[in-house]
Amino acid sequence: MFAFNCPVNRRRDVRPSPRGGASGNGGPALLLAAVLAVAVPGVLVTACSGQTGPARPTASSAAPPAGSQPSSRRPGSALAARLLTQAAQAAVVTSYQGEEIVSHWGTSGATVLVSDIWHVSGGQTVTRTLTAGTYASSEPYLSSDTNGQWPEGVLGVTTQLVRLLEAHYVVVYGGAGSADNRAAQIVEAWRDDGSLAARFWLDDVTKLPLEREVFDSAAHVISEDVFINVQLENQAQVTAPVGGPADPQGPWTDPLPARQLLALRGGGWLVLPQLPGGLSLFTGAQTQASTGTVLDLGYSDGLSVVSLFEQRGNLAAKLTGWQKITVAGHVIYAAGPDQRSLTWSSRGMVYTVIADAPAQTVDDVIGALPHDAPPGFWKRMSRGFARLASWVNPFG
Amino acid sequence: MSHLGDRLSALVDGELDGAERDRAYAHLASCEQCRTEAAELRALKQKLSTLLSGAPAEAAMTRRLIAMTGPGGPLPPRRRLLHLAPPTAPRETRRPGPRGPARRRYLLLGTVSLVVGLGTAAFTAGGGGAAAPGPRITPPVEMYSVEHAITTGEVPFTGPSDRPPAGASGADSDATQP
Repeated sequence: MFAFNCPVNRRRDVRPSPRGGASGNGGPALLLAAVLAVAVPGVLVTACSGQTGPARPTASSAAPPAGSQPSSRRPGSALAARLLTQAAQAAVVTSYQGEEIVSHWGTSGATVLVSDIWHVSGGQTVTRTLTAGTYASSEPYLSSDTNGQWPEGVLGVTTQLVRLLEAHYVVVYGGAGSADNRAAQIVEAWRDDGSLAARFWLDDVTKLPLEREVFDSAAHVISEDVFINVQLENQAQVTAPVGGPADPQGPWTDPLPARQLLALRGGGWLVLPQLPGGLSLFTGAQTQASTGTVLDLGYSDGLSVVSLFEQRGNLAAKLTGWQKITVAGHVIYAAGPDQRSLTWSSRGMVYTVIADAPAQTVDDVIGALPHDAPPGFWKRMSRGFARLASWVNPFG
Repeated sequence: MSHLGDRLSALVDGELDGAERDRAYAHLASCEQCRTEAAELRALKQKLSTLLSGAPAEAAMTRRLIAMTGPGGPLPPRRRLLHLAPPTAPRETRRPGPRGPARRRYLLLGTVSLVVGLGTAAFTAGGGGAAAPGPRITPPVEMYSVEHAITTGEVPFTGPSDRPPAGASGADSDATQP
């Protein structure tokens, strides 16, 4: 039975300081706890209301003091990396069920998604999504990671993304805390400029991710994901709902390695090894649609993830559910309550971007991809006369 | 003694016969008043004869004017003043529609309107991207969201479509040509 619970009562006891370590720093820790006790519940209550438009919360605690950049050579770094690796594995090997609340703050406001999740160790994950008070999907979404190829995880903690996270950020151990009334270990990811990028709360026993906060470089919260009402069960005790697609990713090929993806450039596909914002190509897949092949390219730096879908053709003349916006000086179309799905066509290719990334990174990515330049005056006039002639030509 | 009266005028005009004329002359010999009147009548008759003989054109015109006062046919058509222009001036021929500079203005205005209208239509029609070959596609955002969620390890977000993820598999495009 689905239950919509706002995680306002779930608070960790200790917030680590940017310098790491929850103990031995009583003054800042108390101040931090006081600020969070006021700010974070308000953020979560607003998020759970499903309303958009509130000011994006600012995580003042995430603003790093001068000279607070942690060193990757700190003793805690190895522990942090090990904890994250264990967390990625725990999402696959542990049997669990719970409710995942994913909150994104974009330019148009906050978007909240609530899902029930059931996972059997080494087997399927069942996700039933609820958003804005109604079920978004009439059928549960099922995955079947039977061969371990798909990067399933909890709160975005997968093996591949953990590797990218360690490559692009400085991960440090943040001390002990609690989340969802469970003891937790805290891991932080810091940028090279000394700003806090993310915090992870990992279950103390299973290392299953319980909470994740992501900040932009201005210490604004980009997303806050929590896994609540978690029940760790034996495999036989997890009872997922039946029904729904048995193999939803069936149309997609198994994830292709970057080397194989780059080889697709010979066939006319746009496969960039890097995208702005330090996003590296780390996965991809193909599927056959009724109108041709669709290529999915996944880019990430470990925290931000951008999926680029390519399909040969042109956008339909009428796009229901999409609205025209301007990003990085280019007129494109956006969909979704938070406009994180963007699409446009250029030179006979339809590009669709779905991004979980800071707004500036999304702008940079959009600007780096191909767009049709606006035609000059005479070229436009010439094209217009040609079209007019074709319209009045009875043999045309 | 009675005077000649009306017979005096006849005497001057030579219209009296012998006996009548003799008696008229016998009276003039003894009557000064009738002689004076006879002399005045002759002088008047002579003046009229002189006038009529020296201006025959005027007399003819007078007769014509007198004749016009009586009953006759319809009046001749009026003649426009334009026809009184000197014969050396070029005759204007009347044509239907605007004349001269006005017609040229209308022609220029119509041409400009046509050029502007066609230019605007061409500029509007020439907008948008060039029509590259290929199918018309509506991105299946829900299917893409599921795939993205698999990539990120998060739960899927939903897009504008109400279709469940299962229905999105493979059927992602709007093949309707505009």
